[in-house]
Amino acid sequence: MAVSWLARLAACAPVPVFPALGMRGEEALYRLALSPEIKLVDSPRHASLLLVAGGVPPSMQQALRRVHDQFPAPFTTLWYRSTPLVELPRAAVTTVDSLDALPGALVESHGSLLRNTVGHSPRLLPDAPPHPWQGLGDDGHGGEGMMGGVPYGRPMAMPPTEDLRDGLALDVLTFRLGPFFPLWPPGLEAEVILQGDIIQQFSVQSSPFPRALAPVFHEAREQSVAIAALERARARHHLQALFHALHLAGLEGLARDALRLADRCPSGDIALLAKWFKTFERRMKRRGFFALHLPERGALRQEQAERLGGFAARAAGIDRDARTEDDGYRRLAFATITQQAGDTRARWRQRLAEIAQAFDLAARAQRDDMRTAQTDAVETPRGAWRDSRPGGTSPLLEDLLPGLEWGEALASLASLELAALSPWPREERAETQMGGAA
Amino acid sequence: MILDQLVWPLALVLAALVLGPYLLAVLDGLVARGLGLTRGPGLWLAPLRRGAWWLIQHTNVTEAPDGRAWRLAPALYLALAAGGLALVPWSRAWVATDIATSLVLWGSIEALATVVIFLQGWSANTHLTLVGAYRYVALGLSYILVSMFVLIGVALPAESLALTQVIISQQELWNVLRQPLGLPLFLIVGLAITFRGPFNLADSTDLAGGTSADVSGAQRLVWEFARSAMLVAFSGIATAAFLGGWLGPWLPGPLWVAFKMLAVLALLAWLGPAFARLTPEHCVSLMWVVLLPLAFVDLIWAGVEALS
Amino acid sequence: MELLLFFVILILSLGAGLLLQWWPSRHHPMPTYPQRAPFLGGGLPDTHAWSRFHVRYYPMALLLIAFEMEMMFMYPWAVVYVAQGMKAVMEMGMFLAILSVGILYGWREGVFRWQ
Repeated sequence: MAVSWLARLAACAPVPVFPALGMRGEEALYRLALSPEIKLVDSPRHASLLLVAGGVPPSMQQALRRVHDQFPAPFTTLWYRSTPLVELPRAAVTTVDSLDALPGALVESHGSLLRNTVGHSPRLLPDAPPHPWQGLGDDGHGGEGMMGGVPYGRPMAMPPTEDLRDGLALDVLTFRLGPFFPLWPPGLEAEVILQGDIIQQFSVQSSPFPRALAPVFHEAREQSVAIAALERARARHHLQALFHALHLAGLEGLARDALRLADRCPSGDIALLAKWFKTFERRMKRRGFFALHLPERGALRQEQAERLGGFAARAAGIDRDARTEDDGYRRLAFATITQQAGDTRARWRQRLAEIAQAFDLAARAQRDDMRTAQTDAVETPRGAWRDSRPGGTSPLLEDLLPGLEWGEALASLASLELAALSPWPREERAETQMGGAA
Repeated sequence: MILDQLVWPLALVLAALVLGPYLLAVLDGLVARGLGLTRGPGLWLAPLRRGAWWLIQHTNVTEAPDGRAWRLAPALYLALAAGGLALVPWSRAWVATDIATSLVLWGSIEALATVVIFLQGWSANTHLTLVGAYRYVALGLSYILVSMFVLIGVALPAESLALTQVIISQQELWNVLRQPLGLPLFLIVGLAITFRGPFNLADSTDLAGGTSADVSGAQRLVWEFARSAMLVAFSGIATAAFLGGWLGPWLPGPLWVAFKMLAVLALLAWLGPAFARLTPEHCVSLMWVVLLPLAFVDLIWAGVEALS
Repeated sequence: MELLLFFVILILSLGAGLLLQWWPSRHHPMPTYPQRAPFLGGGLPDTHAWSRFHVRYYPMALLLIAFEMEMMFMYPWAVVYVAQGMKAVMEMGMFLAILSVGILYGWREGVFRWQ
């Protein structure tokens, strides 16, 4: 039969997966990005599988239902360390708790979906238009003046608003984006007002999910830890952040290289890592990564940079780093690196420099088995962790993003870390944090 | 007579239209493998598997699209690509559309491609696709001039706007050597017209797929197929304009054309993913301030060369 | 004859493109309203996307019109170029020089910036 050989052919295709990341779902994303049999896509229209990775708080389940319903048939769902929505039938749900089993499970689900041995996911939301039809005339226009009514279920873009750049009053597009928009931090939900392709207004409605760090940062708050381990974890964190920016820039090969380097960080030979990173950095520059980031775009003001702390502050010229207070680091002759501009480009330069520095520190610390000397202040990749953990700073976006072109805005967003620091280290199970999600 | 003028050219165009995009997909697969994105066997089957999946997936509909225009856009893009392929001379006798103004016709195909790509993004009536569509128009309005100046350059020594005459004028020396700026500039146009690599403003990652963000199933298949077919047509025109078309020793003309087209496709498949996407603003400045003056230089070079 | 074949190829490919889209989906039901909503990562829009969109390259588009006009003169010029010799070089050289000044002026005025 014609359809069955087509299905058999399609079953062997790279599995198109749309990841909806919940709390602590990143690990799954990084693993899948390096699995050649999986193809991560940015829109549910391009996927056969909805992968929900990590816990989804109850307030976001409606948004998850909406994303779920936007998949064209046929598709099914897979839940990684997450509790499936209750209304989904058992046949359309696969749950996986082990990272190693995840790529295999996705391939399996895709295959059985096309062989019709697994249930297609049903629609969850009622099939009703967003607004009942209103207005008069053939197209539902009219009724209340020229632009009144809701032709085809929605009002027309209104009202004319003066543009930020040239003051021309044209229509603005208002929409809410997130929390499962794959090109910005998971959990971030915002109302965006676009004028052309420039962001006119940006209001954060919910902050990104807290970001979990490697356990060594948490240990460093309690006891003396090896500096080498701390610096390796730092390099890994920044490399994983680079993956998102490189993906955004369309440099898929380099994005994978960043993840491969990140995976080798915890235990790889440090001299080799430093060498690979140098090559990687050179390639990144040569391929025009920095050309994507125009100067002065996404520049933080002094007080914003101070509030944010960490590498973002150093990229804006604030010479502050908790590592300078530590005797262990002092013996390694640690010196902070800073940039001046404080814009998106400077932040990436800063992060690249800090990765190189981390490898250098780790190499020297490893030789003499140096350990941290203090526990009351730890410089995490997110900023200094003193009495309290670095908190979420996403409201800053409301000030930073307006006036930026869409691509520039997302690039700026990718260069920042705005999520609060999670109280639990990365390896812990996500369920403990989910609270009433189930 | 009928055989030479109708049957063979038509067969060659249709074969290039079907095989070209497939081979380009294989080349893309090879490049992706080099970048470490895919692995394992199935290089030759991978494009067919992806195509099969698109045929099985249901085609998406948005809330209030301009339905007819939305479905028409990918088909029109494919038709434009096929029209471009029809202009490619396979040998002195085998040309599907051997008109005196084939360079002008190709220019109009390039201009219409912008309209069609815009239509694909606009008709869906969704936000991300709309931004992608308008953004692409900025690029479409910029690359067209570079393309036309470079092509006028090859028309000068030929004293004709017909591609066959352009090829005949290259008997002594191919234009790629005679006008060294021409081909590199034209290759950039090729990446722009199919929005690949650094010029992917239409279907970019920051818009979750841009004009394709809300497109699925068979419509996506036709769209991606047409996009590849357009690059194949482009490589055919580049072959005729700069690489001497059917000219070459030993082998029959059509084979030479096919080899040269494949070489251009391989070069573009390799170049595309090598560079980061440009911002729209950068793209427009680059085209107007750097590439367009370079195209002027190319034209003057070609003019001086043609008179000497 | 040549144009006949051109139109045959156009119509064949256009038909194939439409058929390929219509044939697999001819029995598919209309998607539900939630599926048809624009993809916004779980969010929803307030309005239709169609709007009076603020195009940022409007001055550039105007500049293009000047050049497009010039292209029309350029096609016949290219054909007679070798026959006319030096005269053709001078004429087009002057024309291009004037337009180049236009580009430079436009650049200075920020025509290629996103405004």
